[in-house]
Amino acid sequence: MGTGHDQSETEPEVRAVRRRLASSAEPYLYSAPALILIVAVMLVPLSVGLSYAFRDIQLLDPFSGGFVGFDHFRELKADHSFRAALLNTVVWTGASVALQFIFGLILALLLNREFPGRRLVQALVFLPWAVPTFLVGLDWAWLFNPVVGPLPGWLFTLKITHDTNNLLADPATALIGPIVGAIWWGIPFFAITILAALQSIPKDLYEAASIDGAGAFKQFRSITLPLLAPTIVITILLRTVWVANFADLIVVMTNGGPADSTQTVASYIFTTAFRRLDFGYASTIAAVLLMLLFVYALAILSLRRLLVQRQS
Amino acid sequence: MTIDMLRRIFYWSAHYLLLGLYVLFALFPLFWLIKVALTPNDLLYSEGIRLWPSRTSLEHFRFVLTHSEFPLFFRNSLIVSSTTAVTVALISSACGYSLSRFSFRGKPLLVALMLTTQMFPLVMLVAPMFRLLAPLGLTNSLTGLVIVYSAFNAPFATLLMQSFFDAIPKELEEAALIDGATRFGAFRRIILPLTLPGIAATGGFVFTAAWSELLFALMLNSSSQASTFPVGLLSFVSKFSVDFGQMMAAGVLALIPACLFFVLIQRYLVRGLTAGAVKG
Amino acid sequence: MRTALWLAFAALGLSVGPSAEAAATLKLVEVITSPERTETLKAIVKIFEDANPDVRVEITSLPWGPSFEKFATMVAAGDTPDVVEMPDVWLALYANNGALESLEPYLKTWEHTAELNQRTLQLGRVIRNTAYMLPYGFYLRALYYNKKLFAAAGIKAPPKTLDEFVAVSRKVSSLPGKYGYCLRGGAGGVNAWMMFGALVSGSDEFFNTDGSSTFTDPGWVKGFSALAGIYRSGLAPKDSVNWGYNDIVTGFYSGTCAMIDNDPDAMIAIAERMKPDEYGVAPWIKGPSGKSFPTIGYSGWSMFANGKQKELAWKLIATLDGVPGNLTWNRRTGALPIYTAAAKDPLYADARFKGWFDELSDPDVVPMVMPVYLRAWALFASSIVPRTSQSLLLGQLTAAEMAQQWARVMTKAKQSQK
Repeated sequence: MGTGHDQSETEPEVRAVRRRLASSAEPYLYSAPALILIVAVMLVPLSVGLSYAFRDIQLLDPFSGGFVGFDHFRELKADHSFRAALLNTVVWTGASVALQFIFGLILALLLNREFPGRRLVQALVFLPWAVPTFLVGLDWAWLFNPVVGPLPGWLFTLKITHDTNNLLADPATALIGPIVGAIWWGIPFFAITILAALQSIPKDLYEAASIDGAGAFKQFRSITLPLLAPTIVITILLRTVWVANFADLIVVMTNGGPADSTQTVASYIFTTAFRRLDFGYASTIAAVLLMLLFVYALAILSLRRLLVQRQS
Repeated sequence: MTIDMLRRIFYWSAHYLLLGLYVLFALFPLFWLIKVALTPNDLLYSEGIRLWPSRTSLEHFRFVLTHSEFPLFFRNSLIVSSTTAVTVALISSACGYSLSRFSFRGKPLLVALMLTTQMFPLVMLVAPMFRLLAPLGLTNSLTGLVIVYSAFNAPFATLLMQSFFDAIPKELEEAALIDGATRFGAFRRIILPLTLPGIAATGGFVFTAAWSELLFALMLNSSSQASTFPVGLLSFVSKFSVDFGQMMAAGVLALIPACLFFVLIQRYLVRGLTAGAVKG
Repeated sequence: MRTALWLAFAALGLSVGPSAEAAATLKLVEVITSPERTETLKAIVKIFEDANPDVRVEITSLPWGPSFEKFATMVAAGDTPDVVEMPDVWLALYANNGALESLEPYLKTWEHTAELNQRTLQLGRVIRNTAYMLPYGFYLRALYYNKKLFAAAGIKAPPKTLDEFVAVSRKVSSLPGKYGYCLRGGAGGVNAWMMFGALVSGSDEFFNTDGSSTFTDPGWVKGFSALAGIYRSGLAPKDSVNWGYNDIVTGFYSGTCAMIDNDPDAMIAIAERMKPDEYGVAPWIKGPSGKSFPTIGYSGWSMFANGKQKELAWKLIATLDGVPGNLTWNRRTGALPIYTAAAKDPLYADARFKGWFDELSDPDVVPMVMPVYLRAWALFASSIVPRTSQSLLLGQLTAAEMAQQWARVMTKAKQSQK
């Protein structure tokens, strides 16, 4: 606190310089702890992990570790299992995310109105997100098991299936199990974020539209959807990336089987790393997956920028 | 009855019906978990398909609480998850604030970095991370897990916090700064209290994520002193039998804190995200 | 807030503090775990600690499911124990990489070495004829059957040949909701495929003299075909294509399927859920040649080569595998004994073990050791077999095609093993 002295001209100058320095360093200071942690604990192992793609790393062979260049990538190009896993990944990711999104959107729309008991319903319907994923896998595997679960019987009675066998044992239907589990677990994520975005849309927009005679459906199409678009894009991007990397449910429910029919790239990486103990090849697959997701992310973000621009 | 009233009745019936279906869908698997946890061993398979066993018993819960190391695992999980939640809340608030308020060189790079970390399959990080933490003595320790989980959750938490901060007008701190406060002071005394719900929501989200993590808890820690409850659940799958009843009982017990937390914070998550609306 | 943080860190520190100081600490890892086994292990270890008061043994019990990858990760990162429980399928991986210490010098001077039965040393020495592990017991396959289901289907005695096996399965499968055989189509199913293959081919040789695999021989292919046929004709539950160890045992004691092939340790779970008059154990079936080839597996204790306290580690192994220790252990784990004299122990006189001792005394029963000395065997058994055999069961492959794929892998493995 100044004493009111008329100090030399330098004091306010010094303070100004200091403040300028401080303010230019400020953003970095605030971001520093998070940044340091992420770089040290995630980026360093990540780069090391990626480097394995160019080396021969057999987990239990201390003499492995030699540089092999692009050998692994060449092997990957010819790998049938990888191609099959890639196809499964597209089906798995596409179906899970699309259905989670649709059901999450509907739920958010339903919760967007005031009604008695809304808080309770909201709390109950978001619970699945709190369950650990391997428990989700076990639970649904149990539900689909004809010996101890009710679903095969019900599906048969409802004529959806023509026998009471376990869905998970048939290569044609095995992927449905983990997809259903993923949907059950993932709806809350979409519902919460979309609900939040819905509630930030000013109500007067709807009132004005009602006065103009627009029906509910038209309002949804011309007000809700466009304003939701940026949020939708980001949440779908994030969720797709997470689901594509998500092996838990599949490993717990079907272990990639039967006969690799539910093997996705993520579970294939797991088996290559921890059964074949070939970390070099596993890393190659991971690197390719990373590249594919990167391209996908760029595409989505450009789409988003387009939408935001159109909005304004 | 006017058409309007009929339309309203139809609408609200559909509304409640759909909501009812959602609630049923969300709760049925959880109900089944509880049902299996309460079914005595001899009825587990013979009465597997029934909606409720003919005889319930608390034997599984009793066993889990008294005969297994589950209380220890539960305690470890509690310590790891709360510490992670607090740590992440702190650092992601700071970083999220920075992303929200400042535009600086490297900001897009920082965001890109955070998004990229979400794309890599964590399985591949196990071996390098082990090699990184072992010489530091951080394997087989709860501290090591906290560090790892904090790093994993920081990116998403930061983006979340950024949207919460975006909801608060910059004018508030600017007024304080003009009055002579330091930025940090303004941050601490004015902005943080306003975003407390957002912080709570982020903390709760991170708590739930750390609570259920299995892969790294399994691979980085070996001794039961440092094991968390997901690893503990695996021990119910033994060479002799899968004790599903006990596993489900342990699962139900472990769900309670996670569900409680989530129920408490989901309201704030919605409210907080609303204001900022993940626009970025 | 700050105080809360400090409290949290303090709590963390408290929970992972250093343990009570001892002059020496041995690290012991068990990998085939269950709560009962851990209790038994602790009891035997306590005997060792009492006899060596300045030594403490730190036991790490890995959850059984992911124990393979968990242990591999630990070893790769340098977190190695002094003594580890070593299953036969893992031995090649660790011994061939120089991770394990040879136990020969210790066995030379051990007082109990002469009392070990011949099989123990033979199987402990499969890698380069050096004992890299000391087995603690053997797992021999036999046929468990459900007496109640047999009675309901009108079957008087367990099947003795392959044809009888199929006929019996058919009769039981005609009961609504019941099946004859609990097939292990998922993890760990390799034993059954080997047994059926060897059964029909009449030989347990995996390789010809020129080092090529015998899997493509017509006998083996017919055997594979027979097992696949059992599944395809509906004599095993449709779900069993995915079944692992726990599923088949559960299928058996829940009365879903009437027969499983398994080792003595499955009895522990089964005895808990079924009464003695509800199930029985018979010798494994014989093939057209009149011979039977139940697989024999084993687990034991190994010492790590980079341990700093090898003498102490050997003493621990000696206690675990010593005469009282081993018996206590096998009583709990249900494995067959390593000592010639132990066969007379009252434990094994129990009627339930009769099936196995009948097998051991029958000259036409040849316990088949699988080629676990091959480095590639672990991957073959854990990955290739489930995937390809599931394809066979589902009709995506023929038995001949699967045999060809297997033969290719095996021949290559043998050649690169030089």
